[in-house]
Amino acid sequence: MTANPLALLGRTLTYLALSLAAFISIFPFYWMIVGTTNTSADIIKGKSGFGSALFTNVANFFAQVDVARVFWNSAYIAVVGTVLTLAVSSLAGYGFEILRSKTRERIFAALLLMLSVPFAALMIPLFMMMAKLGLINTHAAIILPAIASIFIIFYFRQATKAFPAELRDAAKIDGLKEWQIFLYVYLPVMRPTYAAATIIIFMANWNNYLWPLIVLQTNEQKTITLVVSSLTSAYYPDYGVVMVAAVLATLPTIIIFFALQRRFVAGLLGAVK
Amino acid sequence: MSTAMQGLRLTFGAALTTTGLLFGTTAMAVDVTVWCWDPNFNGATMKEAAERYKASHPDFNLIVVDFAKADLETKLQAQLASGTTDGLPDIVLVEDYGAQKYLQSFPGAFQPLSDKVDYSAFAPYKVELATLEGQTYSMPFDSGVTGLFYRTDYLAEAGYDEAALQDITWDQLIEIGKAVEAKTGHKLLSLDLNDAGAIRILMQSAGSWYFTPDGEVNIAGNPVFKAALEAYAKVLQSDIYKPVSGWTEYTGAFTSGEVAATFTGVWMTGTIKANPDQSGKWGVAPIPKLDGVEGATHASNLGGSSWYVLSSAPQKDVAVDFLAEVWGKDVDFYQKILVNQGALGSLTAARDGEAFKASDDFFSGQPVWQNFTTWLGEIPGVNYGLFTNEADAAVAAQLPALKDGGSVDDAIAAIDAQVRQQVQ
Amino acid sequence: MANPDLRRTDRLNGWLFVMPALVLLGLFMVFPILWSLWMSFQTGRGMTLKFGGFANISRLTQDPVFLHALSNTAVFLVVQVPLMIILALIFANVLNNPNLKFRGFFRTAIFLPCVTSLVAYSVLFKSMFANDGVINAFLEGVHLISEPIPWLASPFWAKVVIIMAITWRWTGYNMIFYLAALQNIDRSIYEAARIDGVPAWARFVYLTIPLLKPVILFTTIISTIGTLQLFDEVMNITASGGVGGTPSDSTLTLSLYIYNLSFRFMPNFGYAATVSYVIVVLVGILSFVQFWVARDRK
Repeated sequence: MTANPLALLGRTLTYLALSLAAFISIFPFYWMIVGTTNTSADIIKGKSGFGSALFTNVANFFAQVDVARVFWNSAYIAVVGTVLTLAVSSLAGYGFEILRSKTRERIFAALLLMLSVPFAALMIPLFMMMAKLGLINTHAAIILPAIASIFIIFYFRQATKAFPAELRDAAKIDGLKEWQIFLYVYLPVMRPTYAAATIIIFMANWNNYLWPLIVLQTNEQKTITLVVSSLTSAYYPDYGVVMVAAVLATLPTIIIFFALQRRFVAGLLGAVK
Repeated sequence: MSTAMQGLRLTFGAALTTTGLLFGTTAMAVDVTVWCWDPNFNGATMKEAAERYKASHPDFNLIVVDFAKADLETKLQAQLASGTTDGLPDIVLVEDYGAQKYLQSFPGAFQPLSDKVDYSAFAPYKVELATLEGQTYSMPFDSGVTGLFYRTDYLAEAGYDEAALQDITWDQLIEIGKAVEAKTGHKLLSLDLNDAGAIRILMQSAGSWYFTPDGEVNIAGNPVFKAALEAYAKVLQSDIYKPVSGWTEYTGAFTSGEVAATFTGVWMTGTIKANPDQSGKWGVAPIPKLDGVEGATHASNLGGSSWYVLSSAPQKDVAVDFLAEVWGKDVDFYQKILVNQGALGSLTAARDGEAFKASDDFFSGQPVWQNFTTWLGEIPGVNYGLFTNEADAAVAAQLPALKDGGSVDDAIAAIDAQVRQQVQ
Repeated sequence: MANPDLRRTDRLNGWLFVMPALVLLGLFMVFPILWSLWMSFQTGRGMTLKFGGFANISRLTQDPVFLHALSNTAVFLVVQVPLMIILALIFANVLNNPNLKFRGFFRTAIFLPCVTSLVAYSVLFKSMFANDGVINAFLEGVHLISEPIPWLASPFWAKVVIIMAITWRWTGYNMIFYLAALQNIDRSIYEAARIDGVPAWARFVYLTIPLLKPVILFTTIISTIGTLQLFDEVMNITASGGVGGTPSDSTLTLSLYIYNLSFRFMPNFGYAATVSYVIVVLVGILSFVQFWVARDRK
C-alpha cells in the first residue's frame, strides 16, 4: 500500500523524537551518577567521564551524615503520609463526584481556591499551630497537614468522572452499600489512578523541603532533602559527597515508580470491563 | 584463652565501664545546642571551643546542628516570627549584616551579654553592629576583613610584585588587570554580576553605608556611594574579569587558576588553601582604595558573623559562660582555629599569638595574619541597619545597566527610589 | 417509593465520605488562610503590627519590585504552561500505542525528571548551564553558537533556563495523568474510527482530547497554580548566595517576592500576605475561565 513509506517515516521520526526526549530526560541523572565517582575538583571542572573516587565519596558521606537515621526519617514520612493521603483523599474525591450536592459543590469550589494560596504565606500560622499542639520537631507535624490534599482530592474527582455509572448502579441493585461499592467495585477499577496517585504523593512527601526545614530542629529528625541542601551550602562544598547524597535522595522515588508503573499496563488489558 | 572467651571478657569489661560512665556523668550532662552553617568551618570551631570548655566543665556537651546558611536564616526568622520558643537552640550563628534586623524585629528574643563579656577586647566595628540601646548581644566570631588575594606567579609575569600592590586605587587595579591579561592570558578577576558585595566593600572602606547611623536612606547625595558605584561600573565595563554565576563558578575560577585574583573576605582562605599544589603561588595585598573620597582606606569587611544566645535558651547561663570563657578570652583557642579552619577571630589580643605572627608559606612567606589583623583594626565601623538585603537587591537590579555603560546618576536615582519604597 | 430514602442515604454518605478530609483541612488550611487574610490588613515590621486597612493594597500599585515579579510570573505562565501541556499530551498519546516498541523505557525515561529532589536537580542544572558548562560546550561543539551563552548571567537567558527546567521536570508528571486516563478509554472507539478512515491526527483531536477533557482541565489548572506559585526553581537554579531570582530579579516571581518579604528582608508579613492574595485572585480568575471553557455543553 502507498501508505507504507510515509508510515515508515512517521515511525522513524517518532522514535527519534522519543529518543531525544529520553536523552534529555536522562542526561542529568547520568551526570549525577558520574559525579559520585569523581572528586569535587573534577566535578567543578566539568569532567563528564567516570572517575575512581566513588569509594572515597561514599565513605565521606557516611562519615558526615547519619545516613540510616536520615533515610528512615524521610521513608517514614513518605510511606505513612502516602497511605493516609490515599485513603482520606480518594474517599473525599469519590464523595464529591459520585454523591453530589449543591453545598458540597460550593465547598469544593472553595477548596480549589484554597489551593492557590502559596505555602510561604501559610508557614508561620501553621508553625504556631504545631507549636500549640506540641508537635514541633516531630514527623506528625509534617504528615498531618498533608493528608487531606486538595490536589489529590481534585485528581481523584476528575478521574472518577470516568468511573462508569453502570457499575455503581449494578452494585446497588445487588444490594451493596456505598462503602462496599467503594471498597469492592471502585478500588479495583481505579487501580491505575491509585497507582499514579501513589507515585505523585510519595514523591511530594519524599522531596518535601520547605516545611520540614521550618518544623524540624534536630539532627535526629532531619530528612534527606535538608541534608543535601546543607551539604551544598558550605563555603567549600564537597561535590562528590553532594552527588552521593543526591543519588540517595532520588533512588527511592525511582524504585517506587518502577514498582507501580506496571499497573498502567494492567489497565490496558481490559481491567475496566 | 579462646577468642570467644576473650571477646566475652572485653564486652563485659566495656559494659562495666560504660555503666560506670553512665552513672558517673549522664546525670550531670548539660546539653548546649548550637545552630550554624558549614560544619567544616563554623561547626568545627565550635567543637574546638567545646573541647576546651569541657576540660574545666566535664559535664558540658555541645550539639551542633547544621543547615544551609539561607535555610538557617529562613528557619530562625520563621520561628521567631511565630513567637514560639519551642525547640530554639541555645546559641545561633547570625551573619553581621542581619544583626540589627533580628535585634530590632524580635525584641527580647536575644540575651544581652554586656555584663558577662569584656567588649573592649574586641574589634570595635564588630561590637558596634550588635549593640542596641546600650546593650551588646553578640559574641563576635569571624571577621570578614577584606584583602586582595592574588597569584604571585601571574602578577610577577606581568611585572608586578608585592610592593607594587600596596597602595593602589581601583583605576590602577584595572590597569594591572589589563597588563596581566596581556602578559599571561589570564583575566584578573571573576565577578558575579548579580552580587552587590563589591559595592558593600567599597562603601565600608570609606566609612559609609546604604543608611546613616540613624537609619535614614543614604544613597542619593552620598558621595561615597557615588564613588563606589562609579569605580565598580568602570570595573564592570572593563574587560578584566570573567563573568560568573553562582558560588561554585566564582570560586572555581580562581581555585583552578583560570583567573589571577579575587578581592573578598579573609574567610576565603580555607577555599584557596584547599589546593595544596598552589602553595607558594599566592599572596595577599590590601584592597584598593576609593579615589577622591574623604576617609577612604584600604580596609573593609565582607560578611563575618557572630554568635548570639537566645533568651529562651534552656541552658542560657551555661551557654553565656561557655562563650565568655572560651570565645571571650582564650587567645590560644584563636590560634588553633586560625591554623585549622582559617577562621580569623575578632579578639584583638589574639594577634599577639604565635599563629597570628607566623608567616604563611602558602602565601609566599607573607605575614598574612598580621596584615589581616592590622587591616581589621582599621575597618571603619558602620551601622549596617535593618535593610541591607533590600538595598542589595536594589543595587543588583541596576548592575546590568551599569555594565552596559548606563549612567551612574540614573542608577543612583533608581536605587534610591526602590530602597525608599521597600523600607516601610 | 424508595427514592427519598435513597436520596437521604446518598446525602448522608456524601458527607461521611468527605468528612475526614474536611476536618483536617479545616484545621490545617482554613485557620492559616484566615490568619493570613487578617495579616494582609496589617502593616509593620516583624511582629510589631498595627491595622493598616488598605495600605498594603495601595502599596502594591506603587511597588516596582512587585510589578516586576508580576510580569515575570506572567511570562512564565503564558510560555511554559501551554508548552508543557501540549508536549505531555503528545507523549502520552504516542506512548499509549501498544505497537510501539520500548514503551516502558521511554515512559520511565520521560517521567524520571519528576522524581529528582529539587536540590539535586538544581545543582545539576546550575553546573550544566554554567558559562563553561556542558550545554555551552555542546552547542559550541556542533557550531550552533560561536560564543558561550551567559545562561545564568543574562536576564533573558535566565528566564529561558527556568522555562526549560520546569518543562524538563514536569512534562513527565502531566504525561502520567494523561496515560492513566488514556488507559480507561475503550480501544474499540479507536478501532471503529480507524475502520471509518479517520486519520490519526483527527482521531487524536476529535476523539482523544474530548475524552480526556476532565484530566486536561485538571492538569491545566494545577499547572497554572503551580506556575503562579513558582518558587522552587527560581530560588535554587537562578540563585546566588542564597538569593533567588537572579540575575537582578529577572526571574523574581510572586512567590519568591513573598518569601523575600517574609524571610530575607526586614519581615513584613502583612504585605507578604497581601501579595499572596494577589496570587489567589489571579488563580481564581484563571481557574474560572478554564472551567468555563471546558464546561459540559448540553
